[in-house]
Amino acid sequence: MLEEIKSLRKAPEEEYYVPGHRTCAGCGPALQYRLVAKAAGPNTIFLGPTGCMYVANTSYGCGPWAVPWIHAQITNGGAVASGIEAAYKAMIRKHKTDAEFPNIIVMAGDGGSADIGLQALSAAFYRGHNILFIAYDNESYANTGIQTSPTTPYGAWTTFSPAGPVIPEGKKLMPKDLPKMMAHGHPELKYLATASLAYPLDLMNKVRRGLNAQGPSFLYVHAPCPKGWSFPADKTVEMGKLAVETGMFQLYELNEGQYKLTYQPKEIKPVEEYIKLQGRFSHLQPEHIQKLQQFANGRLKEVGIEVSVPAQ
Amino acid sequence: MGVVKRISGCVATANAVKLADVDVICSYPIRPYTGIMSELARMVADGELDAEFVYGEGEHAQLSVVYGASASGARTFTGSSGVGVTYAMEVYSPISGERLPVQMAIADRTLDPPGDFGSEHTDALCTRDQGWIQGWASNPQEALDMTLMYYRIGEDPRVLLPQYACQDGYFVSHILGEVEIPDAAQVKEFLPPYKNHHVLDVRTPQIIGAQMEPKMGPGMQYQRYVAMEGSRKVIEEVHDEFGRMFGRKYDPWVEEFMTDDAEVAIFIQGGHAETGKTVVRRLRSLGEKVGLVRLRTFRPFPTEQVRNALSKFKAVGTVDNSVNFGISGAAGVLLTEARTALYGLGDKIPTVGFVAGLGGEMITHDEFYKMFMKLKEVAKAGKADKQSYWLPFEL
Repeated sequence: MLEEIKSLRKAPEEEYYVPGHRTCAGCGPALQYRLVAKAAGPNTIFLGPTGCMYVANTSYGCGPWAVPWIHAQITNGGAVASGIEAAYKAMIRKHKTDAEFPNIIVMAGDGGSADIGLQALSAAFYRGHNILFIAYDNESYANTGIQTSPTTPYGAWTTFSPAGPVIPEGKKLMPKDLPKMMAHGHPELKYLATASLAYPLDLMNKVRRGLNAQGPSFLYVHAPCPKGWSFPADKTVEMGKLAVETGMFQLYELNEGQYKLTYQPKEIKPVEEYIKLQGRFSHLQPEHIQKLQQFANGRLKEVGIEVSVPAQ
Repeated sequence: MGVVKRISGCVATANAVKLADVDVICSYPIRPYTGIMSELARMVADGELDAEFVYGEGEHAQLSVVYGASASGARTFTGSSGVGVTYAMEVYSPISGERLPVQMAIADRTLDPPGDFGSEHTDALCTRDQGWIQGWASNPQEALDMTLMYYRIGEDPRVLLPQYACQDGYFVSHILGEVEIPDAAQVKEFLPPYKNHHVLDVRTPQIIGAQMEPKMGPGMQYQRYVAMEGSRKVIEEVHDEFGRMFGRKYDPWVEEFMTDDAEVAIFIQGGHAETGKTVVRRLRSLGEKVGLVRLRTFRPFPTEQVRNALSKFKAVGTVDNSVNFGISGAAGVLLTEARTALYGLGDKIPTVGFVAGLGGEMITHDEFYKMFMKLKEVAKAGKADKQSYWLPFEL
């Protein structure tokens, strides 16, 4: 069992996601990766489906992990993790290895979890494999140069959803709600939570709870992307906090089918305070911002947070 | 001592997988290979085989599960047919690229259309250049033996490549044959447990499948090429040893049937060869100098051995049981491979391509007869008037 970390000062000093990669300055996914690896510790195998955390970490044939890592296709993180888990179960039972059963963690982007990787993710959870699947959400296909994914917010500019005279808001669709899709309909699910790199203690403890749950665990981590969202590289943590404070992202755990908030802002700020700092939203007109406010309010209501910013 | 049973190709393969003491199996249903998995599921349920039986959510997942399991050090098995084989296409190259000796059984089926479930080699042949060892069994006994030999070949540290053990759907997978199921202790001696030191283990952390810059790519591809070429020697050694231990001696590359003094021959792979042999026997009894050469290992392609086998005839007809639209020679891949093997012998040996048995149809005695008669004409004229014939429409 991995113990709860009582404070940031008491977090383990050892790092398992180490220097030696070429992620962008201020990369949100890299920041959360470091925290995840620290919380998980040395008895861990990471899988990296294709995405930023594969490409930017393993360029030049090497990678920044002090634990084993294997590439998966962007399509199949859940299935490859299932295979590793099944192999360890069989080999331990048949005395073909004397290794301990490892923590098996998939580190998939929003494409590798909510989009092309969804089938493999859902099937692994249906089958009940003892894995932790982390979807780090930077809200676009960023490694390929910022294209819309199912979790890209309404109104965001990407190279596949540019704003123009005919489509003034850019992205027209509302984002898919992956954690809620995972929360219901997978009877073997043992743990589910959302987290943000801006709340590191909360994030690390959710990693540990997921690993302690001894079954399929899902952690959805909000990971702002300076390059894809067009904000300064030193504002990643601030952007993560603002997402939570404006209700664009909510921090919760699933507890017996109910969403239990793990952090509730004292006062919800208007979404405009979040989006005005990001170039990807700079083309939005007031009516578009209102739609985003409605979106945030809807998501807040779903997890039981009182809405305090009206949307017209 | 082994036991002799009357079983299908599917059940024969399942018995081999059990004898190989496989650790992780990943299933997904599609006819006709499904019978292999149902038999394995029964063996696991009855306690005859201790393995994790993972329900894949599709063929892509099947290959992905065994990729992860093999990278963790487990011996793995999966299989498919038809469009299932092509659905998993993305994962074949990563498996051979990471040098994971996964085994996949393919019981052939047409792609769609026609969607009629019938046997056709098109599915497996679509995968032919992905860095996997590949060959066809022509009867249930050979399916069992091939499964055991392929694990041994693929897991050899000099090879470390995955394997497609192919059998014709229905004609082999579902037809009962007399099969000697070898003794488990003897198999264990022939096929020791899989040991690979390059596995996912926290005690020896390593990074598998890192991205690399373009200039690192050629070296990695070259290693896979060297492994495939190097497997030729291991394939021969393993067939020799298998013959010594189990008494069934196979030529690893080609089986020649009544080729002594033959003037014309059919070049073919898989279960249709059995029908072809019956026709050869009949024509021989009528005094016709005909023979048949059955290809056993398709990848690596035995260029030298095929050249030696085919260069003694006055005409050769290849029988392709697959569609390769627009291919050079207008027949199928066996024609182009055979011509490549014979290249350098000029026009001395006319080759004709026959495309037959598509959509799961039998290649009938009558059709083989027509092919041999056509080859006699070609041998007499010293050249073919047409490079390919699609049966039954053009012959």
